[in-house]
Amino acid sequence: MKHLQSKPVQYVLLGLVFSVIPYIIPIPQSTMTILNTVVIYAMIALGFNILLGYAGQISLGHAAFMGLGAYLSAYLTGKLALPFLLSLLLSGLIPMLIGIMLGLIALRLEGHYLAIATLGFGVAVQQIFVEWLAFTNGYSGVRAKYPSIFGFEFRSRESFFVLAIAVLVLLCIFAYNLLKAKTGRAILAMRDSVSAAQAMGINIYKYKLVAFALSAFYAGIAGSMYMHLIRFTEPTQWGIGLSLNLLAMVVIGGLASIGGSIVGSVFLVLAPEIIKEVPGLADIKNLSYILTGATMVLAIMFFPHGLARLGMQWRSYLSKRKKNAAVNI
Amino acid sequence: MEMFWQTTIAGLETGSLYALAALGLVLIFRTSDIINFAQGDMAMFSTFVAFTLFNYTGSYPVAFIGALVFAAIFGFLMERVFIRPASKANLVSKMIITLGMIMIVGGLAGAVFGTDSLYFRKALLADNITLGGIVVQPNALFIISLTLVIMAVLFYVINRTKVGIAIRATAQNENTARLMGIPVLRIYSLSWIIATVLGATAGILVAPTTNVSINMMAEIHLKSFIATVLGGFNSFIGPVVGGFILGVLDNMVGLYISLKWKTVIVYGLLIIILIVKPTGLFGQVHRKKV
Repeated sequence: MKHLQSKPVQYVLLGLVFSVIPYIIPIPQSTMTILNTVVIYAMIALGFNILLGYAGQISLGHAAFMGLGAYLSAYLTGKLALPFLLSLLLSGLIPMLIGIMLGLIALRLEGHYLAIATLGFGVAVQQIFVEWLAFTNGYSGVRAKYPSIFGFEFRSRESFFVLAIAVLVLLCIFAYNLLKAKTGRAILAMRDSVSAAQAMGINIYKYKLVAFALSAFYAGIAGSMYMHLIRFTEPTQWGIGLSLNLLAMVVIGGLASIGGSIVGSVFLVLAPEIIKEVPGLADIKNLSYILTGATMVLAIMFFPHGLARLGMQWRSYLSKRKKNAAVNI
Repeated sequence: MEMFWQTTIAGLETGSLYALAALGLVLIFRTSDIINFAQGDMAMFSTFVAFTLFNYTGSYPVAFIGALVFAAIFGFLMERVFIRPASKANLVSKMIITLGMIMIVGGLAGAVFGTDSLYFRKALLADNITLGGIVVQPNALFIISLTLVIMAVLFYVINRTKVGIAIRATAQNENTARLMGIPVLRIYSLSWIIATVLGATAGILVAPTTNVSINMMAEIHLKSFIATVLGGFNSFIGPVVGGFILGVLDNMVGLYISLKWKTVIVYGLLIIILIVKPTGLFGQVHRKKV
C-alpha cells in the first residue's frame, strides 16, 4: 500500500482508469475529440506551468512553439516518412532548441523582456507559418497521418485517448521527478526570492533557461499530438489568442501545481462547450473568451492558488478564522 | 530617390503612431511598474467608439474628440477596476491581469461591435500634394504634426510643470514620492488616462489604413513594444525616438528587402537590440537594489 502514496504511481493508476473508461461507457465521437483535446492541452499547460508557476516567467509565444511542433510533426511523418515516435520526440526537441536560443537572449534581462520577446516571437513565427509555403502550405494548411507505433495505427478516438494519456502520464512523472530533484528546488527558490537564491549559489540564468526550454519541449510535444489528432492545421490557430488561453489555463487551474495544469485545461476546453449548450448565452459572441479573461483576473486577485487548491485555501481560511475567534475571546 | 523620400515620409507617419502608443506604454510602466499588454485592445475599443460616433453624428471632429473623452474615462475605469485592487501583487501577477484585460476588452469589442472590418475615413481628405516629384498625403503631414504637437505638450508638462514633477518623482521612487506628499494614486490614474488617450489617438489615426476591426492594433501594439525596447524603458523621450526610427526602418525594409517578411525582419531587430543594447538607446543601466 505504501507504493500508492507515491505520486508517479498515482499518475499511472489514474491514467489507466481514465484510458479504460471510453471502452466501458460508450462516449460519442465528438465528445471523445474534446476529451482528447483536453489531454493535449494538459501537456502544454504542464510545461507552461513549469515556466510560469515554478520559475515565475511569462511567455506569450507558446502557441508558436506548439504550432511549430504540429508543423514539424506533419513534415517529419509526411515528407520524411519518419516513424511517429521519433517525429514526436523531434517535434519536442526542435522547439526546445529554438526556445534555448530565445531564452539565452531574453532571460538575461528582467522579467518583462521575456514577455515582450516572446510576444514578438509569436507574431513572427505565425507570419512564417503564413509565408513559408514549402513547409506549411500557407493558409491552405497541411494534413497528417494517423499516428502509428510498430504497425499499430491509432485510428479510433478511443485508442488515441489511450496514447495521449500515456504521453501525458510520462510528462507528468518527468515534471514531478524534475521538480522534486535539485533542479526543481533551485527553480522554486528562485521564484520565491531571486536574491536569496543567488546568495545560495543558484545560477538564476541557468535555471530560468532550463524552465523555458522544458516548457518549449512540452509545447512541441503537445503540438505534435494535436496534429495527429485533428490531422489538419493552418496558421491562424497558433496566434496570441491561444497563448493567452494557455496562460489562463495555468492561472485558473493552479500555479505551481501539476494537478492544477490538468484542471485548468479541463476548465478551458469544457467551459466553451458548456456555454454553447446554454440557450441565450450561445448567441453572445466571444462570451467564453471574455469569461476566461475575467476568471483569470479574478483568480489572480482572489484565489491565486487556482481551482486545484481552492479546497486547501478554504481550509486555511477557516482555520485562520477560528484562530481569530479564539483571540477575540 | 523619390521612392526613398516618399517612404521616409510614410515611415515618419507610421512612426508617429508607434511613438504615441510607445509613450503610453512607458508612461504606465514608469509610474506604476506595469507593462500594459492591453493597451492595443483598449485603443481598438476606443476606435470603435469613434467609428460609431461618426456614423451617428456624421461629424469627424465630434467623433474624434468624443472617442478621446471616452478613452480618458475608459483608462480611468480600467485602472480603478483591475489594477488598483491588485496594487500589492507582484510584477508577474500585474502582467497577467493586463493580459486578462486583453481577453475581456478584445472579446467585448467583438461582442458589441461585431467582427467585421469596417472602413473609417482619414482625418484630412484633401488631395495629394506633389513636391518635386514626391507625392505627399496631407493626412500624413497632419498625423506627423499632430504627434509632434502632442509630444511637445506632454514633454512640457512632464519637464516643466508641477504635475510633471509629480509624475517623474513617482516614476523614480514611489515611496519617497508618497512621503513628499505627492498623491501617488492620483498620478497612477492620470498616467492611465493619458496613456489610453494616446493609444486611442494612434488607433483613430491608423484606422484608414488598417480598417476598424478587432485586430487593427495588432501591428502597432507589437511595434510600440519594440520601439520602447529600442528607445529604452527607463526614459520618456527614448520610446518616442524609437518609434520614429522603427517607423522609417519598417517602411524601408518593406521597400528595399521584402514586404512579406517585414514583420519577421523587424522582429529580428528586436532580438539584435536585446543582444547588443538591452537598455535601449536612451536607457541607463538599471541596477536592482536588494
